[in-house]
Amino acid sequence: MKPGTALTPFVIEAVSAQSMRDWSVFLQDPNAIHLDPKAVKALGLGDRLINQGPANLAYIMNLLGANFPGMIIESLQCRFTGNVFAGDRCVADGVVIEADDEGITCDVWLGVDGGGKAVTGTAKLRR
Amino acid sequence: MPDEADIPPPPDVRGISLDGSQPHVIDAAENAALCRSVGVEPATDGTAHPIYYFIATQIGMGLSVAEFCAAFDFDVKDGPMMAGTAVRFLQPLRVGRPYDVRGEILSATRKHSKTLGVMDIGEYRLNLVDNGTVVAEVTNSWVLPRRQKP
Repeated sequence: MKPGTALTPFVIEAVSAQSMRDWSVFLQDPNAIHLDPKAVKALGLGDRLINQGPANLAYIMNLLGANFPGMIIESLQCRFTGNVFAGDRCVADGVVIEADDEGITCDVWLGVDGGGKAVTGTAKLRR
Repeated sequence: MPDEADIPPPPDVRGISLDGSQPHVIDAAENAALCRSVGVEPATDGTAHPIYYFIATQIGMGLSVAEFCAAFDFDVKDGPMMAGTAVRFLQPLRVGRPYDVRGEILSATRKHSKTLGVMDIGEYRLNLVDNGTVVAEVTNSWVLPRRQKP
């Protein structure tokens, strides 16, 4: 795989409110912006539930796992640059920027249909 | 809505311990549910979804999210948001193993945002430790908005 190679995207057709409820349990974090649209509105952040940041990151990890089976994520560095809302269609995607015998480095991101990028980052994988 | 002059400077949080008091065990059934919630099947070799680096450190650290925010004189109800995260895996994470969490708060930095106004960035470091061996090194940062608009 050469630098510039595009990864095969990992697509989430619609982020669900039920998933957010599940993640509130996984994270033991009952932040109301993931559970109650009124809380989102009260903070001026819109009127739909906001997906948990770690769930957004999990989509990117799924992208890496699907594109590089048998390889191990060595490091991942990400910035959260936007929100993903209930019902959004998201696409985790990336491109190879370095590759050698030991591993691969990729730029990765999570795009939201009609909403730009919610996460951007860099991942290193080793064989 | 407060003026900036009304907002006290961020507290001195550097060095506050985030060591956990009890190990965190990644439950196999929960790992399976989590994997399916994000559209993949769980691994069959005993490894957990790698996102557990974040979950295990957050749950296993010595403070709840609300207590962590309170250390910054910030009410969790005011909407903390993740700013960034960095992880280095030294070993894959596995279900059923007891992971200790060790860490500390690194900084609180006052910033200004066009969309959020005055905010503090809280940065902290956490290590996930398996029987004395570090398996994941994590640095996270949160945005703590001090007011909603500039």
